[in-house]
Amino acid sequence: MKLVKKTGSGSAATQPSSGFLGRSIDRRAFLKRTGLAAGGAAVAIGLPAKMMRRADAADAAAADGDTVIKKSVCTHCSVGCGVIAEVQNGVWTGQEPDFDSPFNLGAHCAKGASVREHGHGEKRVKYPMKKVGGKWERISWDQAINEIGDKALEIRERAGPDSVYWLGSAKFSNEQSYFYRKFAAMWGTNNVDHQARICHSTTVAGVANTWGYGAMTNSYNDMHLSKAMFFIGSNAAEAHPVAMQHVLRGKENGGKLIVCDPRFTRTAAHADQYIRLRPGTDVPLIWGILWHIFENNWQDDEFIRQRVFGMEDVRKEVANWTPEVVENVTGVPGDQVKQAAQTMVENKPGTLVWCMGGTQHHVGNNNTRAYCILQLALGNIGVAGGGANIFRGHDNVQGATDFGVLSDSLPGYYGLAEGSWKHWCRVWDVDFEWVKSRFDQGAYEGKDAPIPVMNTNGITVSRWIDGVLEAKENIAQKDTIKAMFMWGHAPNSQTRGPEMKKAMETLELLVIVDPYPTHSAVLPDRDDGIYLLPAATQYETCGSVTASNRSLQWREKIIEPLFESLPDHTIMYKFAKKFGFAEQFTKHIQVNGEEPLVEDILREINRGMWTIGYTGQSPERLKLHLENKHTFNTTTLKAEGGPCDGDYYGLPWPCWGTPEMKHPGSPNLYDQSKTVAEGGLPFRANFGVEYKGQSLLSDGSYSKGSEIQDGYPEFTADLVKQLGWWNDLTEDEKKAAEGKNWKTDLSGGIQRVVIKHGCAPFGNGKARCVVWNFPDPVPIHREPLYTPRRDLVEKYATYEDRKTFWRLPTRYKSIQEQDFSGDYPLIHTSGRLVEYEGGGEETRSNPWLAELQQHMFAEINPKNANDLGIKDGQDVWLEGPEGGKIKVKAMVTRRVAPGVVFTPYHFGGWFQGQDLPDKYPEGTAPYVRGDAANTAFTYGYDSVTMMQETKVSLCKITAA
Amino acid sequence: MARMKFLCDSERCIECNGCVTACKNEHEVPWGVNRRRVVTLDDGVPGERSISVACMHCTDAPCAAVCPVDCFYTTDDGIVLHDKDLCIGCGYCFYACPFGAPQYPQKEAFGVRGKMDKCTFCAGGPQGKDNSEEERKKYGRNRIAEGKLPLCAEMCSTKALLAGDGDMVADIYRERVLKRSGRPQTWGWETAYQEDV
Amino acid sequence: MNASKATLTACVAALALLAGCHEPVSVTVYEAGEYKGESDPLLKAHAKSESKEALQKRFSMGQSDR
Repeated sequence: MKLVKKTGSGSAATQPSSGFLGRSIDRRAFLKRTGLAAGGAAVAIGLPAKMMRRADAADAAAADGDTVIKKSVCTHCSVGCGVIAEVQNGVWTGQEPDFDSPFNLGAHCAKGASVREHGHGEKRVKYPMKKVGGKWERISWDQAINEIGDKALEIRERAGPDSVYWLGSAKFSNEQSYFYRKFAAMWGTNNVDHQARICHSTTVAGVANTWGYGAMTNSYNDMHLSKAMFFIGSNAAEAHPVAMQHVLRGKENGGKLIVCDPRFTRTAAHADQYIRLRPGTDVPLIWGILWHIFENNWQDDEFIRQRVFGMEDVRKEVANWTPEVVENVTGVPGDQVKQAAQTMVENKPGTLVWCMGGTQHHVGNNNTRAYCILQLALGNIGVAGGGANIFRGHDNVQGATDFGVLSDSLPGYYGLAEGSWKHWCRVWDVDFEWVKSRFDQGAYEGKDAPIPVMNTNGITVSRWIDGVLEAKENIAQKDTIKAMFMWGHAPNSQTRGPEMKKAMETLELLVIVDPYPTHSAVLPDRDDGIYLLPAATQYETCGSVTASNRSLQWREKIIEPLFESLPDHTIMYKFAKKFGFAEQFTKHIQVNGEEPLVEDILREINRGMWTIGYTGQSPERLKLHLENKHTFNTTTLKAEGGPCDGDYYGLPWPCWGTPEMKHPGSPNLYDQSKTVAEGGLPFRANFGVEYKGQSLLSDGSYSKGSEIQDGYPEFTADLVKQLGWWNDLTEDEKKAAEGKNWKTDLSGGIQRVVIKHGCAPFGNGKARCVVWNFPDPVPIHREPLYTPRRDLVEKYATYEDRKTFWRLPTRYKSIQEQDFSGDYPLIHTSGRLVEYEGGGEETRSNPWLAELQQHMFAEINPKNANDLGIKDGQDVWLEGPEGGKIKVKAMVTRRVAPGVVFTPYHFGGWFQGQDLPDKYPEGTAPYVRGDAANTAFTYGYDSVTMMQETKVSLCKITAA
Repeated sequence: MARMKFLCDSERCIECNGCVTACKNEHEVPWGVNRRRVVTLDDGVPGERSISVACMHCTDAPCAAVCPVDCFYTTDDGIVLHDKDLCIGCGYCFYACPFGAPQYPQKEAFGVRGKMDKCTFCAGGPQGKDNSEEERKKYGRNRIAEGKLPLCAEMCSTKALLAGDGDMVADIYRERVLKRSGRPQTWGWETAYQEDV
Repeated sequence: MNASKATLTACVAALALLAGCHEPVSVTVYEAGEYKGESDPLLKAHAKSESKEALQKRFSMGQSDR
């Protein structure tokens, strides 16, 4: 033992590591967090013995195999981090950083760094299971498909195809998403939806109705060039950690970071300015900022004149939002609002980022449009470093949204009109009348001219429980929902837990298709009628995935599906066979055994997705990008030399025309400094050519190289003829394009020729600030349905109740006019944790992640905690005004303001204080379980999209 | 030729726990033992700062100084490793370490702790050939032998955590500091390496 | 006679028990300040300049803001 006295080292050793503010790290506190002091080490013996054995088994098998490298993409969020897997003898033995990927440059957050655990799959559903007499029984795939299929067909016969709800997933690959929508169409219902409904549906509706497409306009990488970054309702440090790499690089390049959030989040900790606002007051805050901009004449007049419609109407509304009014409603002091406005004006280009904090409100479509209008006023759209940077959630929610796994559209946002159905029937090469016959032939909406159910919006995922529980006469379809397919979708991400439990118990059939059992397996108290089908994860199959910035990436298959799981598209094919439409389903798609060929599905997509330009991303081009990731510039995403020279990474849509045309993709939307052939675009002329006598086309503003040096409408064959460009089409193209437009011309000739002449196929219009077909044409403020500010409810009242909205009666005023603030005085809001994703079953079953967040908790401000007599770490009951209550640990912190309580929504496996490990099939209960936050959340749905209001409700806290 | 160093740039650290999980993934470390942890100061209030901590591989390591069986050894560029077969689990190294790096997998009667486990800079340990079955079971993977650097730093979500040649680490950090025009905050370097940036 | 039989059985039992007490002995003679553990093949391999250069290259590839 060496004991050498060192001069000066004594002081270094005894003085704890100081530095920031001279605060020391107490080792006991450090220990506590390591879980060692809390007996976590004891668990080291009990728990992982099995795990260690499994790893040993894997190692033993693999030790003598050659290592094969497979490349995939993380399945946890929309940043799309590259994953490199080392596989030996079919076992996933190592994970390496993907330095070549321009999106993450090798980086991962906790979830991305843990994906190899999917290859262990300890807690996965291993084989099809059925609940019989209260117990889970193993069954074969054939038995499962037959029994489920028979029941579904029986319900179809008796109650109609709309009584079976096909809930899909944002974690489907693009091909699976498209396939699923086709499946639901051929089954004969529009009752199909996925997570985007409860995530960014208000974004897509609000933004698309403002300037054409509802997607992220720039990219994460583009933020290196932003001189101001305005985050509102986005906690990127926890929800999109690797995106923070780009944000912080932008900050180091001189960008100013402003974060608006009711909580002082981990993102706010890096902000130059932090603004704390009351949940549900986004529009007042934005209008407050815009008030300063108009007051001081800081807006970009030229941009507005040429490319924006309706800003004067916005000015009228904004004039109401003086600093005093803004402070009263939002709680933000006047000088902070002015400072934010000044920062945005003085530091351009500036980008605006938002997430659930802005979207998950019953006025979500107002919020998203307000954000767009602010950026339009500043002239920050269509420039590198600017844009409306919408951070999407799950890894392929962008793709699933684009492919119409939605109750109000077919793939490509074509909608549900007859013309759209005919377009897709042509692409699918099936008879339109046959598809029509698959639907219920009734019509339940449209008083004077009844609209067939095939052309009406289906029920949304946020309301599916009402589709089950509501009286049959009140629903605009033949009968209530009797069978529910929860396919890659957890239930604990939707509100009103107690009613959901009841709905699940009322169903005649509940089928869960997922790699993990999910909270759906344990929530209902029922002895039978539930099936569990093991789906394979995206690492066990191949396919393409669309990141938030619209880039597509190809995933290679890393390992064969574990246990008896099957890829989603194989399961869809099996059901299609059972239901008798397999032939139409895979008409031009090769099927190997029972697995449809993924590349063929993508080729069919390329033949039909003209509206948003998913036509140029062929499997070959995407695989070429996969092989040459390192050639792409990490800021502009453009390939500089190499086999993909000139392309943008992932060919971000719109990638116009056929793959032969080799369009490079559009990295920044609405950027007129580039030609359309190089990826530039004007605003889409989506709303007609004029409104109330005023032109909706752009005024003298056009893309570089455009032959029409002014605004123009979207292109039809006739317009092309009028311009004298018709003869630029080939004979084959002319045949296909005759009488069609840029969206329905299957040859792509119209798009090709229009782009050749420097124009955008979708026209050149103005962005509009007034959406005349929305309940609030100019966004206004309406208080949340459950609000503590009764003094504001009269002036900023919500909407009237509606008799039929997305097939269901929907309440607004009848809820808001009741005063719950006496009994439920605290504002309840929710959000994400970095260690978990979504409903949480998958990540809470991963020991490496579960160890980091072992308890469900609620953040409570010290003032409220002291008033209620609650200490940090104590068990408390959190109860919502509709009776849902959850038992959680109190985390007393100043992160939340007094009067606001925050809960993470990833927990499940408990119900109202009761842990339910025994209700899981043997060996599948996640390591960490907890009460679901959404059990206590309440009714409230967006006035356009049925988005649920999970960012603002009321609650009360009592000691447990 | 510089020595190996870790640096966690707290301006970029967002407490994502990517480093923690990467280490667990690579070395299959059991529940309860965390070679790397993220520590957050002033959690929830302005001034919040996070730092990723593991063994710093000190010059003149205190753990090696107090070990009663001298189970530690160092590579020529400063990576501090130890032999688990010699380790008696006395816990002295844990008391000596200013960063709390040594971890013990057991907590049984009579203070039995099991063999000390700590961050190896992804350089494995003495048993067996590099990256043999034996070495992997005891210490986890040996990335240095494969020409790779510690996975925690290679997978850090924001490139806050840096690990490698100390001069190169310092260069990157200095560049960032210049861009930010702030003063250097090379947390832990005085204690571990007894030198400034 | 019984007493000696008892003692005999006891001795046999004791011997049998002791037989199980044998352990393969490997004793490390401790000397202060000297590492007596197994030698690590990494030390030699890593001392080469190729190893150091490979790691420097790897650092530039992966940890710079490319």
